[in-house]
Amino acid sequence: MKKKVARVLSLALVVAMLGTTMVGCGKKDNKKNDTTTGNATETTDSTGDTAGTDSTADADKKYDKFLTVDVFATQANYQGIQSGWFAKVVKEKFNMELNIIAPNVAGGGDTLFQTRSAAGNLGDLILMGSENGRLADTAEAGLLVDMTDMVANTKYVSQFTGAIDVAKGLSNDGKLYGIPSSVSSQPATNPSEGLDLTFGTYLRWDYYKELGYPKVGTLEDLLPILKQMQDAHPTSDSGKQTYAISLFKDWDGNMMCMGKQPATIYGFDELGFVFSKADGSENQSIIDDNSEYIRVLKWYFDANQMGLVDPESTTQNYDTMYAKYQDGAVLYSPWPWLGQAAYNTVEHKEAGNGFMFVPVEDESVFSYGATPNGLAKYVVGIGSKAQDPQRMMDFIDWLYSPEGVMYSCAQTASTCGPEGLTWEMVDGRPELTEFGKEALLNGDGTVPEEWGGGSWKDGVSQLNFQTVLASDENPETGFPFNYTLWESVIELNSTPLDKDWQETNDALSTVEYLQKNNQILVAPGTDFVSPQESSEITTLRSQCKAIIIENSWKMVFAKDEAEFYSILKNMQDTVKGLGYDDVLAFDLDCAKQLNEMRDAARQ
Amino acid sequence: MGNTGKSSTAVAVGQKKKAAIPMGVKLFLLVLPFLVLVFLFSYYPLNGWRYAFYDYRAPLDLSQCEFVGFKWFKFLFQNPTQVSQLLKVLRNTFAMSALTIVTSFLPVIFAIFLNEIKCKWFKTLVQTLTTLPNFISWVLVYSVAFALFSDTGMVNTVLQNIGITTDVVKFLDSDAHTWLWMLAWSTWKGLGWGSIMYLAGIAGTDQELYEAARVDGAGRFKLMRHITLPALMPTFFVLLMMSLANFLTNGLDQYFVFSNSFNMEHIQVLDLYVYKLGMSSNSIPLATAVGMLKSLISVILFCVVNFVSKKTRGESIM
Repeated sequence: MKKKVARVLSLALVVAMLGTTMVGCGKKDNKKNDTTTGNATETTDSTGDTAGTDSTADADKKYDKFLTVDVFATQANYQGIQSGWFAKVVKEKFNMELNIIAPNVAGGGDTLFQTRSAAGNLGDLILMGSENGRLADTAEAGLLVDMTDMVANTKYVSQFTGAIDVAKGLSNDGKLYGIPSSVSSQPATNPSEGLDLTFGTYLRWDYYKELGYPKVGTLEDLLPILKQMQDAHPTSDSGKQTYAISLFKDWDGNMMCMGKQPATIYGFDELGFVFSKADGSENQSIIDDNSEYIRVLKWYFDANQMGLVDPESTTQNYDTMYAKYQDGAVLYSPWPWLGQAAYNTVEHKEAGNGFMFVPVEDESVFSYGATPNGLAKYVVGIGSKAQDPQRMMDFIDWLYSPEGVMYSCAQTASTCGPEGLTWEMVDGRPELTEFGKEALLNGDGTVPEEWGGGSWKDGVSQLNFQTVLASDENPETGFPFNYTLWESVIELNSTPLDKDWQETNDALSTVEYLQKNNQILVAPGTDFVSPQESSEITTLRSQCKAIIIENSWKMVFAKDEAEFYSILKNMQDTVKGLGYDDVLAFDLDCAKQLNEMRDAARQ
Repeated sequence: MGNTGKSSTAVAVGQKKKAAIPMGVKLFLLVLPFLVLVFLFSYYPLNGWRYAFYDYRAPLDLSQCEFVGFKWFKFLFQNPTQVSQLLKVLRNTFAMSALTIVTSFLPVIFAIFLNEIKCKWFKTLVQTLTTLPNFISWVLVYSVAFALFSDTGMVNTVLQNIGITTDVVKFLDSDAHTWLWMLAWSTWKGLGWGSIMYLAGIAGTDQELYEAARVDGAGRFKLMRHITLPALMPTFFVLLMMSLANFLTNGLDQYFVFSNSFNMEHIQVLDLYVYKLGMSSNSIPLATAVGMLKSLISVILFCVVNFVSKKTRGESIM
C-alpha cells in the first residue's frame, strides 16, 4: 500500500513538474491576450451610473458591452487606468475605460513596443510615431486595422482629407493605418504655439529685475547675469541651495537633450545628428567644433566652472528637477512649460515672482509652424486585435471633434475641458469660470461631484495626443481652443509680474514681442516624415548617440578647458571611427528634403 | 538535488518487485522534468540565434525580414573603432570577473572565522546580517547607495558638516576606482551567501580530526590552518572552476543600475553592452551576434578549465 502511494505520488510529482515548466510557455499568438482582454469584454456594465445623464443611456444602447480599452500611447506620461473627469466622460459616451500603456513610464526605450509587437497585439488604440518607416512596418506586421473605409463614415476625421492622404502615403499599400495629429486650418507659416513658443530663455524675472533688466547681447552674456542672480539669492523658498541651471538626462536621445535647448533660440532644431536651421540656411553636424551644440556644451561647462550648475544634474530625473523649479531652486528655464508651469502660480505672480521671457538681442527663436495636413510623425490607429474597432473609430472621431479637442488636450496643449465646468460663453466670448480659474490658472482644483470628482489635474486626459492644433479656431465658439489665447484670459494677465514684464518689453506676450522685433524663425509645417533608414544606419546611430551623450555629459562637468577639448576630440574620433559620417549623410539628405518641403510651404 | 536523487532512487528500488515498468524507464521519468527544464530554458532559447542572421526590425515578423548571413558578425570587426569598442567592453568584463575570482577566497576566510565564534546568538546574528543583502535586488542596493553616496546623500552631508570636505565628493557619478567600487558592492552583497556552502563544509568535517590534532597540541589557529582549510579546498576549487567558466557572464543588473555617463567607460560589461544594443537601441541582430560570440568563448573557456582540472587535480569537473 505504501509503495502504491509512493508510486502515485511520484507520478503526480512528475506531472506537476512538467505542468509547471510548461506554464510559462503559452503559445506566442494572441490566445493569451484574448483571454485577458476577454475578461474585460464579458463584464457588461453593472455599476449603473448614478448621475444617469442622457448620454449614458445613449452609450449603453449603442455600446452595450463595457470595455477596458488598451491604449498604447507613445507620448503618454502616465500608465494605468485613466481616472477622474475625463474617464467619466469616456465612460458615459463610449461605455469604456482607457487602460493606458505608456513606454515613457515603463522605460527601456523601445522595449515595450518590441515585446508587445512580438506578441502580436499592441493594444486596441495605438498612438504611435510613424518615422523611420515604423507605421509601414507596423501595418505590414499586421498590427493595425485598415481604416480607409471606416473613416469615410466619420463626421470629423473625414474632413481632414489632406492629412488622410499624407498618412496613406506612409504605408506600403496606400491604405490608411493612422490619422495624423495636430491637424490645423492655419497656414503653414503661422507659429503653431500660443502666447509663448516652445523654446526661449526664461529667467526668474523678479531677480532679473533687481539687477535692473541688464541687456543680453548673446547667449554667453546670460552667465554673468545668472551668476549675480544666484549670488544674490543663494537659497530657495524652502532654504535649499539655489543653482542657476539644473539639468536632467531622461530625454537624452540623439544627443544630450539639454544640450540642444539653448541652441533653439538661434533657430535650430535637431534632425538626427543634424542641427537644421528653420529657414533652411544652415545644416550643422552637431559634433563639429563650431556647431551650436558644442557651443551650448561649452556654455554649460563655463556655467559649471562658475558654480552655476546643480551638481545633482547628473543623477536626477525630470520629476526631481521639476520639484526644484517649484521650490524656486533653479533660475533659468529653456522652456516656458517648465519654469512657468512649475513656479508661476497666481500667488507667486501676485507677489511679482516668476519665470518670464528675457530677450536675447541676437536671437531668432525656433517655432514649429502650423501643420495644415497634420503632423504625420505622430498618428492614431486601431489595433488589429481591437475588441470593437468601430467603437475605437467613433472614439477617435470624437477626439477630433471640437468638443473632443477641448476635452482631451488639456494636459499639454492648454485646452480647458468641458464647457460649463471650466469655461462658459459670456456675451459671445468664452470666459473661464471660477473653478476654471482655480484649476487652470492656479494649478489645480477639486472637480465637483457631478463631473466625476477628484482633482482636476489627475482627471485630465493622459493620452498626450493633440488631434487638432490647439491654437486653431474652435468652430463652435469662434475663438481658439487654447484658452490662454482668449481675450478674456489675456485680460486676466494683470498680475504685477505680467504688468512689469509687459511694461519693460512693450508687448502683451512673448510671441507678440518676438514678432514685433522680427525674432521668430518659423519652420513651416510640412508633411515630412523621416524615411526608413537601413539597419546599419540604425545600429551605427545607436552606437554613436550613446558615445555622444556619454561624452557630452563629461564635457559639461570637465574639470578644466583642456579636459573639455580633449573629451570633445575623443568623442569626435570615436564616433567618426564607428561610422558617424554615414549616418550624417543620411540625416543631411533628410534635412535637404525637409528644407525643400519647407520652401514649398512658404510659397 | 543529489539528495532528492538518492531518496527517489530508494523509492524506485523498493518498488522493483511489483513494478511492471522497467527500472530504466522509471529512472528516466524521474529525470524527465529536469531534462524538459534544461531543454526549455537552455536549448530552446538558442532558436533565437536565428535573429543574428537577419535584418530584423521590431514590429516585423522574422519571415518578413531579409536574410543577411554573417553581415552582423562582420559588422563587429569592420573597423578599428568597432573593435576597440568591443575590446573596451571585454576589458571591463575580464577585469570585473578577475577581481571577483581573485577575491573568491574571502567567503572561505569569513566562514572559517565565523565558525570560530563560540557565542551562538552572535554567530547567528552575524550570519543572518551578512546573508540578508543577497536577497536584496540590485535596484534596491542602488537606492541605498544613492541615499548614502549621492551629492546630497548622507556621507557627503556628514563630511561637510564635520568640516572634512567643502565640495561635494562625487562617489556615484565619477569614474574613479569604478571596478573596485563595484567589487566592494558585490562583496557586501554576496559575502554571507557565498560562505554558506563553506560553513556546511566545515560542519561536515570529521570531528575526530580536530580531536586528534588537539591531542597533538594544535591551537585554534593551527586547527584552522591544518584541518578546516584543507577540508574546504575541494569545494573551493570546484566553485572556482565554475566561476572561471562563467568568466564572461558577470551579470547585468548591478552594472546597469550603477552605470551613468561618467563611469560608462569602465562599467560597461559584455552583458550590459548586449542589453543596450538589443533592447534600448533596436539593434537586435547585432546584439544577438555578440551574445553568440560570448557563448562560444564561454564554451571554449569551460573546456580549457576542464582540461586543466583533469591534468592538475586528476579529475574533471564535469
